[in-house]
Amino acid sequence: MGLAPMLRITGLAKYFGGVRAVDGLDIQIDKGEIFGLIGPNGSGKSTTVNLICGVFPQTSGTIELDNVDLGKMAPHQRIESGVSRTFQNIRLFGELTVWQNLWVAWRDAPGHETNWLVNWFGSPADRQHEIQKLLEFSGLGDHSDKPANSLSFGEQRQLELARAMASKPKLILLDEPAAGMNSEEVADLKERILTMKELGMTVLLVEHVMDLVMSVTDRITVLNFGKPIAEGTPVEIQNNEAVQEAYFGSAKNVEAGA
Amino acid sequence: MDFLQTSIDGLLFGSAYALLALGFSLIFGIMKRINLAYGSSLLFGGALAVWLEPFLGGGALGLLLVTVFGAAVAGIYVERLCFSPHLGKTGTMASMIATFAIWMQLDEISSQLLPQRTHGFAGIDIEAISFAGIILRSDHVLHFWVAVLAIGALYWTLYRTRFGLLLRASADDPEIAYLLGGRVGLLGVATFAIAGFLGGTAAFLILSSDGQITPHFGLWSTFKGLVAMMLGGVGSLPGAIVGGLLLGFAEAHVTFYLGAEFRDILTFGLLLLILVLRPGGLMGVDVYRTGRLATERI
Repeated sequence: MGLAPMLRITGLAKYFGGVRAVDGLDIQIDKGEIFGLIGPNGSGKSTTVNLICGVFPQTSGTIELDNVDLGKMAPHQRIESGVSRTFQNIRLFGELTVWQNLWVAWRDAPGHETNWLVNWFGSPADRQHEIQKLLEFSGLGDHSDKPANSLSFGEQRQLELARAMASKPKLILLDEPAAGMNSEEVADLKERILTMKELGMTVLLVEHVMDLVMSVTDRITVLNFGKPIAEGTPVEIQNNEAVQEAYFGSAKNVEAGA
Repeated sequence: MDFLQTSIDGLLFGSAYALLALGFSLIFGIMKRINLAYGSSLLFGGALAVWLEPFLGGGALGLLLVTVFGAAVAGIYVERLCFSPHLGKTGTMASMIATFAIWMQLDEISSQLLPQRTHGFAGIDIEAISFAGIILRSDHVLHFWVAVLAIGALYWTLYRTRFGLLLRASADDPEIAYLLGGRVGLLGVATFAIAGFLGGTAAFLILSSDGQITPHFGLWSTFKGLVAMMLGGVGSLPGAIVGGLLLGFAEAHVTFYLGAEFRDILTFGLLLLILVLRPGGLMGVDVYRTGRLATERI
């Protein structure tokens, strides 16, 4: 590699009172990589996502994106620095249209930002084309003017993904994007994530659907009780005894992990 | 003919109530909290205008500008002290009690600016218009047109600009709007400034129509704005307009047929009646059936 990683998390910890939700996490994600973060329920995956986005401050440790320290930034500054996310429970603006949901999250490409006056009161006409492209990428091209809460579950998940992409992030955090999806929708999501990889996007994927994680990620870190217990390629992780122990309580259920 | 004349008078005056209610409703729609200091921030604008009048040129225009900007600045002050510290936290009591404190404070400051209690407030002299036996008070016609313009500007801002979209998104889900990079604090300030512009405009119209200002104006406009908003539907913008017009209409008829001393008895009676029949207001959502205070958001 030689290059510095895009996201570098060092010694990250978050304590809620006596609960050590994340306890000494180190992750490095390179540009263009799809990185998986897995672990049993309550292992600290979502807390890690929330720490990267600035939902709450970390207890200790550092989070750097392209050598910029995110640790003390407000959420909107982190978005400006290039972090974006989806939410575990779908959180769209239900009464706004599909198009408006994207327009809310929209940011102009770096180097082409406009001032706040244009940003707030200018016409969206010149961005219309790009937003339409994003809608088509998400398979929502025909639903542009529908209220978000009238979409099907799978479509709402896709809109969440499109909304995360609308801010032109360097790094997209997907927090259990396949939760509640049927197998057809998961297959569709897999294609979409692979397309994102082809487009050179960098993704941190938190997910329980192992089939999806194993087929799209380049590397995986496994968390248990807030601590990383294994890191490696999908194949390495599948054959790791500590991981099987954490998930299944014994090293005997070998085939169930994949 | 009396009925028609009274109805028109009431509706024209009611357009100023509609502006008052819109400011209230905008804050409630976005913050989900009642701002009891609303009327006092309008009083502050008016009192500041009267206090600065000797230094101002431009007569009525100068008064209008200072009233509107004074009300907006006082509104931002209220937002910073009473609403911004409680952003994203549940429970509405802390904000409301803080606005009660600011209400007293702004009333006191305004009283200091108005040492003689009752001060003249320059009216706008335009001839009354007579048409087919109906007499239109020109200041009331002005109320109407200014209200139409202000409502048009508000709707354009909310539904035709990205700024308005961001406001609506943060009314819908402030937490997500914040995490998506929305400047929620800035939007809160802007909300109170816009509410101050609307209310300040209403205050100028009402004060110049009365030709005077007293320190009671703050309480008066909080009551009128609150009643008009509740009549129409809490947090609903069309409701605020309908509620304001209805309040003006009802007051004019009560005053004409029963006398001014019955006006407030009937006004608040009407509010009670509507709250019993439709707890969410005329155009709001019936709170008991849906379990939500007002699902109709701006």
